[in-house]
Amino acid sequence: MIEVIDLWKSFGENRVLRGINLTIPDGTTYVVLGGSGSGKTVLLKHVIGLLKPDQGLVRVGGVEITKLEGKALTEARQRFGMVFQGAALFDSMDVYDNVAFPLREKQRGHIATEEIRRRVVEKLKVVDLGEEVLPRFPAELSGGMRKRVALARALVSDPEIVLYDEPTTGLDPITTEYVDDMIVSAKQRLGVTSMVISHDIASAFKVADRLAVLYDGHLAAEGTPEEVRQSRDPYVQHFLSLWFEKQ
Amino acid sequence: MERVKAAFEDFGRMLFFAVEIFAWMFRPPFRPELILQQMAFIGVGSVFIVGVTGTFSGMVFGLQMNYAMKQFAAQGYVGGSTAFALVRELSPVFTALMVTGRSGSAITTELGTMRVTEQIDAMETMAVSPIQYLVVPRVIASVAMFPVLTMLYSVLGYAGAYVMGVYVAGIPVGPFLDHTRGFVDPDDIYHGLLKALVFGLIVSVITTWRGYAATGGATGVGQGTTRAVVVSSIAILVADYLITFAAVGA
Repeated sequence: MIEVIDLWKSFGENRVLRGINLTIPDGTTYVVLGGSGSGKTVLLKHVIGLLKPDQGLVRVGGVEITKLEGKALTEARQRFGMVFQGAALFDSMDVYDNVAFPLREKQRGHIATEEIRRRVVEKLKVVDLGEEVLPRFPAELSGGMRKRVALARALVSDPEIVLYDEPTTGLDPITTEYVDDMIVSAKQRLGVTSMVISHDIASAFKVADRLAVLYDGHLAAEGTPEEVRQSRDPYVQHFLSLWFEKQ
Repeated sequence: MERVKAAFEDFGRMLFFAVEIFAWMFRPPFRPELILQQMAFIGVGSVFIVGVTGTFSGMVFGLQMNYAMKQFAAQGYVGGSTAFALVRELSPVFTALMVTGRSGSAITTELGTMRVTEQIDAMETMAVSPIQYLVVPRVIASVAMFPVLTMLYSVLGYAGAYVMGVYVAGIPVGPFLDHTRGFVDPDDIYHGLLKALVFGLIVSVITTWRGYAATGGATGVGQGTTRAVVVSSIAILVADYLITFAAVGA
């Protein structure tokens, strides 16, 4: 379970998060919706300990991750996989080395080369990529393929929690649908807990078990997709209407 | 005033970064393959530029010394004075400046690009320390390879001076070599190599820091690279003065 309790964060004069509270039960997909610059990525980076809050805390499986430093934080991160907005694949490595990286590093010396290859190929298959992509470098892949490789890399060490930062940004509708299906499939097939940060309303309503709308540093609405849709908050109504009225 | 304060803050953060590098250097897992990779890039990759610079500066220094010594009919000292200047001063400083331009700028650009495209964040989320994985091998490789490249510079510089002195200026081989033995002793060589080692440390910490702390996309990476090269070059010259002053005094 992930618990975010009274989380505050400022950058200089800019107060990005102002008392965020949320709980993500194990095995669920939780989506945080919000406009550009609303602080979604900042919230996500607190969950994995990339940023330290000014006030408040984040607990993951009972461990207060916001307090951890050094080796303890490194160990706590072994429970996570993360898919970055721009995929963040290592430019200097081919697809095989990118996907194998977490396995090699986490289980350094304790995992056979054949086992690494088996798991890399298996996870690439989960995201519908074949062995022919293994020798390709990130610069030779399309945006959608890069996202899929990034997801395979996030899943390869069988994490309990997967964090997605804007997984569908910049993708065409077909690839977007594909990525949505992958998020749902990762939850169903692997039982992972997922936290998705997005401004894509359609995707959010498709993959979410629970959903929150982040606005002006606080959660303007929180609940099941249906509860959020019924929210009376003016910003939430306006934000959601932009998409629902088109349907 | 704000800029001065920011500069001091940045310097302070870089010192903390240097302490972190030192701490991570001795923690497992050790990655010799990454150190060798960086030694190949920083060391073997710089052989051509250092070799060319060393040869030509030795040739020029040999010609200039011949021109000066001719006034006193002391051309036999050309070999000795050139070798002395090379091993103590020219080789470590010029090597460091050349390697900063070639490898230091590449290090900052690579790490800066990794920072702004979230590759460094990604590495952290995979429970791998970016300082240990990316920075430590570059620092160790620099500290190891700067002295090696400095020796190469000295050897080729002296060879260049020998060709100019003996074959072009017609200085007899005997005095040329004898005065070299008389002028240069092992302490001079150690002095130059100590400088090279210190320069390797300074350049690698500055260039990795500027990349690691890069912000603001491609422009930020470009500015970081420029600052890395400028600050490293100044730091080399200041450190050169301090080491020389400490060694020989006023």
